Amino acid sequence: MSPRLGYPDLGLGVGLRTVHFSHILREWPAVDWFEIISENFLDSQGRPRYVLDQIAERYPVVMHGVSLSIGSTDPLNFEYLKKLRALARQVQARWVSDHLCWTGVAGRNTHDLLPVPLSEETLAHVIERVRVVQSFLERPLILENPSSYVTFAESTMPEWEFLSRLAEETDCGLLLDVNNVFVSSVNHDFDPVEYIESVPHERVVQYHLAGHTNCGTHCIDTHDGHVVDPVWELYARAHEITGRVSTLLEWDAKIPEFPVLHAEVQKAKQHFKSNRACPTPPNRGGPPRYSIGSPAPQITLPAVSNPLAFIVADVE
Amino acid sequence: MSEQRHTLDELQRWMQAVIMHPGGVTAGMESAEARDQIVCVPEQAERIITRSHTLSANERLEIYSHAYFSRLLECLREEYSVLAAALGTELFDAFAVAYLHEHPSQSYTLARLGAKFPDYLRQTRPRDETDVGAGWPEFMIDLAQLERLVNEVFDSPGVEKQPLLDGSRLQTIRPERWAAARLVCVPCLRLVRLSYPVNDYFTAIRRGERALVPEPGVSHIAISRRDYRVLRYAIEPAQFELLSSLLDRELVGTAIERAAAVSPLSDVQLALELGNWFQIWTAEGFFSDVVV
Repeated sequence: MSPRLGYPDLGLGVGLRTVHFSHILREWPAVDWFEIISENFLDSQGRPRYVLDQIAERYPVVMHGVSLSIGSTDPLNFEYLKKLRALARQVQARWVSDHLCWTGVAGRNTHDLLPVPLSEETLAHVIERVRVVQSFLERPLILENPSSYVTFAESTMPEWEFLSRLAEETDCGLLLDVNNVFVSSVNHDFDPVEYIESVPHERVVQYHLAGHTNCGTHCIDTHDGHVVDPVWELYARAHEITGRVSTLLEWDAKIPEFPVLHAEVQKAKQHFKSNRACPTPPNRGGPPRYSIGSPAPQITLPAVSNPLAFIVADVE
Repeated sequence: MSEQRHTLDELQRWMQAVIMHPGGVTAGMESAEARDQIVCVPEQAERIITRSHTLSANERLEIYSHAYFSRLLECLREEYSVLAAALGTELFDAFAVAYLHEHPSQSYTLARLGAKFPDYLRQTRPRDETDVGAGWPEFMIDLAQLERLVNEVFDSPGVEKQPLLDGSRLQTIRPERWAAARLVCVPCLRLVRLSYPVNDYFTAIRRGERALVPEPGVSHIAISRRDYRVLRYAIEPAQFELLSSLLDRELVGTAIERAAAVSPLSDVQLALELGNWFQIWTAEGFFSDVVV
């Protein structure tokens, strides 16, 4: 199998956020690529879509969704999928991703990325739906490991095994969110290095990096700050295994000026294998490097996990 | 492993009922909606959700419950930022939580989350206004309605990439043909009649300035978009009638009759004003074409 399912290494990108629209249109910064939140643009016929069209002419764009709800027992929303497919064609999206999660059931949307029980029943259910979505979109779906805060008594396998089997069965790709691995490893007390080393590396199409909040008793994926060292160390290990893979920084709350964002993702270069005289030994076989009980580097209560995907109107 | 297996559908419906309950996860587990799926008293939640070595099952579920309300309240506060400023966060949130309970999101996009909020406020407004000050709810409903329209116009179809009606074309139409002409309004033009003059209040709050709640009085606002920015225009009742008729695709003559019926101006004065109005609105991009 081709590395990354044959998809290119786009380099180091950042998530496109409305607060940076004007800066980007004015400066055309030397960022490698942008990732959009698909739902912000599916129906847009105003400035967001205008900005996206400008950007898509100059940069590679990847579509990242938060409402596919691939794990839900509700029927798939084909109107949504139709819009997703149309937008992907219009902006020449390099690939389309979403999360291993469900966002709602019984017709509702919680707008959260809720975890699924990691069971054989769920696996069979998600496999079937991924196949339908891929057939409809006429391209592989790239699925991301979510950060999570609960685990189910019904679960019978670790998340990395679930994702691996899902990917093998459906030929989908993986968006490995290194920060989510770390956050979930703290919350569920598993070894993040084992997770990173166990996923099928040839199927990793993209990495996500982000900041999180250590609440003392658990971590929350807040996307509101710099990437912490233990996450960089996990990223370095992942990169060591997979080689160059498109890497994207998410920053969704307390969003800094664009140059700060850009500089943050550029730090990834320091963790590429070829740049490292002596790779930091990963923290194997044990709890994460800073874990429950360690001094929390940042405590902001109450913290709220992402995603937030709401655009405020420009009005005079 | 749990003592009793639950289907994926049961688990999802149960968890959703628990985390979306406005009374919190304990009340959520005891709700009929949750119990229809899985009967589980809060003390036994670990039959379904495993505990971590620091948090109980209920505490872990509370992370999602808290996130659900925090995330959606933040969106509503942003969409209705002027209303939130007028009400204060605590009161706004109380309305918003009740609204979310009544109208949970059913869309893939958060842009539709607050679509029914003005109607919800109207339907649940206090019937006995002596408790809260006469007319006060109407002011809040007016603000909500204006903010919703502004957001709708912001991302709805516009005419940025299409030609607009050139003012010089109006000069070429012979006076006797005006009555049978049709002015085609742009798709982003909206009109609203409100019971308070909220436009200046809206402007002040959006600029971060202090503003007093105005005295009640009917006001009319036209909302449109140019170069992707939403613009608001305070208009007169006669202008409102005229533009409403044009939006209804009525002939210019019919629209003028409707305007004349509510205008305090004499026919001669109105005729003079009409020419100015059409020129101004054409320059502002209210029309995409004229069909004679």
